[in-house]
Amino acid sequence: MLEVRNLQVSYGAIEAVRDVSLSARSGHITALIGANGAGKSSLMRAISGVTPATSGQILVNGRDITRLKPHERARVGVAHAMEGRRILHQHTVEENLVTAWHFRKPPGSFKQALEKVYSNFPVLAERRRAKAGTLSGGQQQMLILSMATQHEPPVVLLDEPSLGLAPIIVTQIFEYIKAYSAEGNRVVLLSEQMATLALKVADYGYVLKHGQVVFDGDRKQLNDGVADLSSAYLGTTG
Amino acid sequence: MDFFIQMLASGLSVGAVYALVGLGLNLTFWTTRVLNFGQGAVLMVGAMVTAVLIASGTHVIFAVAVALLTAAFILILIEALAVRPLAKATGSMGWIVSTLGAGILLQGLASWRFGTQAVAFPDVLFSSADTVQFLGAYISVQYIAVFVISVLIVVLMELFLRRSTWGYAVRAVAHDNEFAALLGIPVRRVVLASFMVSGLLAGVAGILVSQVSGTVDPGFGMHLLILAFVATVVGGMGSAFGSLVGGLLLGVLEKLVGGYWSPAAAEIVAFILLVGVLTIRPQGLFGKPEAVKV
Ligand SMILES: Nc1ncnc2c1ncn2[C@@H]1O[C@H](COP(=O)(O)OP(=O)(O)OP(=O)(O)O)[C@@H](O)[C@H]1O
Ligand SMILES: [Mg+2]
Repeated sequence: MLEVRNLQVSYGAIEAVRDVSLSARSGHITALIGANGAGKSSLMRAISGVTPATSGQILVNGRDITRLKPHERARVGVAHAMEGRRILHQHTVEENLVTAWHFRKPPGSFKQALEKVYSNFPVLAERRRAKAGTLSGGQQQMLILSMATQHEPPVVLLDEPSLGLAPIIVTQIFEYIKAYSAEGNRVVLLSEQMATLALKVADYGYVLKHGQVVFDGDRKQLNDGVADLSSAYLGTTG
Repeated sequence: MDFFIQMLASGLSVGAVYALVGLGLNLTFWTTRVLNFGQGAVLMVGAMVTAVLIASGTHVIFAVAVALLTAAFILILIEALAVRPLAKATGSMGWIVSTLGAGILLQGLASWRFGTQAVAFPDVLFSSADTVQFLGAYISVQYIAVFVISVLIVVLMELFLRRSTWGYAVRAVAHDNEFAALLGIPVRRVVLASFMVSGLLAGVAGILVSQVSGTVDPGFGMHLLILAFVATVVGGMGSAFGSLVGGLLLGVLEKLVGGYWSPAAAEIVAFILLVGVLTIRPQGLFGKPEAVKV
């Protein structure tokens, strides 16, 4: 379980996240829905620690992680795939996976984790010696997802994982995310600009606007409200 | 022919030192995007401490160890006082002034403590009288030792960066430090380690180059720093191997031009080489075009 309490994120005078509280349940996919600039990324960055929160609290399974540095949060099991498909372009596929494994010090064997990655995404096995920068967008997203999940962390934050990908790939990636959250007791928090896309996978959702939560509900409630939500909060993209 | 081989040998040997200095510059540049303009003075401190300690009767090994530790410690101070405080203000170019200032301060301290005169540098590696014959030419064993040590260090460094998990971590921090932290990499510790190792490299390079030139004075680092910088940019900022090729190329050219034409022309050639390579390949011979981070 991931709990966020009264979180505030500011960049100088800009308040990107204002007094946000939310909880994301294990075994569920929780969506953060909001238009451009709503504060989805800022919220996720505060949870993983790359942008420290101005105030508020973050708890993972009851443990307060607010004071931990980003690399320490990574080690206690918060994985964050940032927006913009960030990856180690000059490292090979396999070097990316080793690096993502080694420094988080997970229990278990890397060899087995690697086999699992390659069986989930056989195309990565074919391209294991290729520089990550030479992969296609879809392949990069698969690698990024694998780097965020191979060590089976309890909390996974995915910032607009579908952005710029072909619909077939989006489906494949969403299937993987669903399986991952269902498989163990894992929290998946996923941000999306488009409510309709988020609702394909999410069990629960929070709608953000101007850094504040303006609506939250389960899939049915969100579905019922999607037309209103789109016009009221999400602009034309819903 | 003898003369040519001698010039070639001395060029390869100073060139390998340029590569070593360039590698030290590169290492901290990768992890912080800061070019340490104080590095020249650290080379000088490494050589100066060695020379002064040996002159006062200290054993060579002990003197070298103290010199290297001093150099590493100075780099940690530079990171803490001249680099880290300025990194907080994104886009600030203040580090140019602060690292250059650190170098000038060190140089001033050395002049004040040891005087501005050149100090004779003792034989640390073999004797300057030792030579071997190669194709009829007499080549100093010191040149060979300096070359071998420098090349060995560069190759080991490249292997470390390409083949070890901590090497992957250094390259990850270089590419995207935010992303690296999210992978569990202790970014601060990697940055500190890069400065420490850069200091060690500077110390070794300072000692090696003084061994070849025979003297050390408080001002000798700046000239070396500029040539190493040229070597690194020619080879490509992102690559240890590139530093090596750039350094050797520059060293050989410098000595050949100096030997056959005039030593005064050597630096002109260095900059013609720099401009020439950069016109054709802006990223250097072995560098990869930098992906611009947003
Ligand atoms: N580094 C920054 N410095 C200053 N302001 C920022 C910074 N990052 C984000 N902001 C501002 O904070 C607000 C929230 O941005 P954020 O990136 O969190 O939104 P988002 O919901 O992720 O948007 P998008 O869907 O476009 O990714 C915006 O007004 C944005 O301009
Ligand atoms: Mg965003």
